[in-house]
Amino acid sequence: MAFAPPRLLPLPAPAPARCAVSARHHGGRTAPELSGPTPRVVVVTSGKGGVGKTTTTANLAASLARLSLPAVAVDADAGLRNLDLLLGLENRVHLTAADVLAGDCRLDQALVRHRALQDLHLLCLSKPRSKLPLAFGSKTLTWVADALRRAPNPPAFILIDCPAGVDAGFVTAIAPAEEAVLVTTPDITALRDADRVAGLLECDGIKDIKIIVNRVRPDLVKGEDMMSALDVQEMLGLPLLGVVPEDTEVIRSTNRGVPLVLNDPPTPAGLALEQATWRLVERDAMTAVMVEEQERPKKKGGFFSFFK
Amino acid sequence: MAPASIAISLPFRLLLPPRPFRGRATWPRAIRATASGDTSGVAGGERKVALERRVGDLKALVASVPPAVASIQRNIGPNFVAGFCLGIAVLAAVARQVIIRSRERDNRGSVADLVRRGQLKSGQRGTAKLRTYDDPFNNPLVKIDEDASTAQMFGKEYRLAPVRLTKEQQELHQKRRSRAYQWKRPTVFLREGDSLPPHVDPDTVRWIPANHPFAAASSEVDEETAKQNVYQKDGVPSRVKAEHEALQARLEASNDVTKLPSNSSMQHNERPLRLSGKPFGNLQSSEFGSELENQDIEPGKHSCDESLQSNRLEGQ
Repeated sequence: MAFAPPRLLPLPAPAPARCAVSARHHGGRTAPELSGPTPRVVVVTSGKGGVGKTTTTANLAASLARLSLPAVAVDADAGLRNLDLLLGLENRVHLTAADVLAGDCRLDQALVRHRALQDLHLLCLSKPRSKLPLAFGSKTLTWVADALRRAPNPPAFILIDCPAGVDAGFVTAIAPAEEAVLVTTPDITALRDADRVAGLLECDGIKDIKIIVNRVRPDLVKGEDMMSALDVQEMLGLPLLGVVPEDTEVIRSTNRGVPLVLNDPPTPAGLALEQATWRLVERDAMTAVMVEEQERPKKKGGFFSFFK
Repeated sequence: MAPASIAISLPFRLLLPPRPFRGRATWPRAIRATASGDTSGVAGGERKVALERRVGDLKALVASVPPAVASIQRNIGPNFVAGFCLGIAVLAAVARQVIIRSRERDNRGSVADLVRRGQLKSGQRGTAKLRTYDDPFNNPLVKIDEDASTAQMFGKEYRLAPVRLTKEQQELHQKRRSRAYQWKRPTVFLREGDSLPPHVDPDTVRWIPANHPFAAASSEVDEETAKQNVYQKDGVPSRVKAEHEALQARLEASNDVTKLPSNSSMQHNERPLRLSGKPFGNLQSSEFGSELENQDIEPGKHSCDESLQSNRLEGQ
């Protein structure tokens, strides 16, 4: 399953699943096919700040929930959390994982359910000015993920929004993860950090890493002022989960507290993130990428076409 | 034109149409001058002449105004009316702009302004109307032409380029990174300046600055209790339960000291006190025995509180 025709370049992925997906592609599907055992613990990371980790997490989680795949979005940024704002839940976060650890509440009480999306829950690691106990190290989220796995109704996905950098927050966020989504922008600073983070993730045993290239501008790519998604992929050597174009609607949706994928009518970035979600669910990758806008052939009309 | 030249030389106030008398006119000063002139002889006579001259000028002015009004009435036409209406319209537009700008200056950047501009939704954050997506790869906004390797998206047509990355290239990149980044995930966090415990591998330690969000001074619960708290599925949370029990114990201790006659009946009927801000509404006494195995949270603190309480009561 890919954005572009999946048959352009076959990937060496598990053949039966791909055949099933491809066969049903033309029929017009309403939901992707969930691949792998659940809950799948996915960390969304980048290394560099400001590339769109939190936006991607919020949209992936919202899109999963809309596909009736229960998702828990964990904001692992202890100091500078923002995921609650993007989901419009900032006024409803009263209990956090830190309160669960301290015994002030249970884990299910700390999960904040989205009003509109019943299958989407948010868990914040701590309150902005509070501090987590040092002694537990990176075990906090491992316990949380394990407890969610053992819950009576475990979620299908646990998405962890990783803080920027590679310090203790990063270590804590990646500890329970089995897969990683590496968000990067097509500039060399983000790429260097992404390569380093990919190396650290691989050292930690996370081999399923896919990249989302965010804030791509086709006009700059066409003028060779910006790297294309294929260039980014060539530098990092990782499969592509999605390519998200630059979109002003991102700012608007952030300010409204409504994820971009819920926009009606859809926006280019929202649609790209929706496609990325489908690939994530199916453990698929892009096989072809939109590179540049094509000039449409002008229609030739007769003399009277001028008056039409 | 004489009337026009007179009108130009006169002050603007005299060009206004005559208004009905509102109780106070400008004449009394002149009248007072005539009254004082009766007592001062020759000087008074000169003043009287000057006053008569002024009155004459005024009469001439009054006589000149009707022809001016008449000339205006004579020259008035559709152009004048149109110009007048246009002027009023321009004035109204300018006034409206001024009002709007002054309001914008007052409200710029406020939440009300953002709500008015549609950038923020007050009271509706997070309540999005759900849209049922079709297949995001095949819908009216996205058309993929596999034969021509083109994709039509939002009315624009893009060329598609196949992904060139192969499995071998991926493995090469992985090997490159494994050579470049030798890393072992830290499992122990220690604050900068602390000494390394003897049984801890230095490679697994992450040193954390004191101002980091993970650098709490001390934890009120130990690791095992924290883990049990996370895994607790139902029942009362451990700290809430511990606080409740502490309050119960305190209440019992106070009952023992005062030795109330109805001591035994109160123990049976006592209710959980709500002295702290913690929610006790969901406390269930039947669940207390089976929820948590680890109930030894801050035993020293509780016993200390009890002894203090009993000491105070004894003192009284």
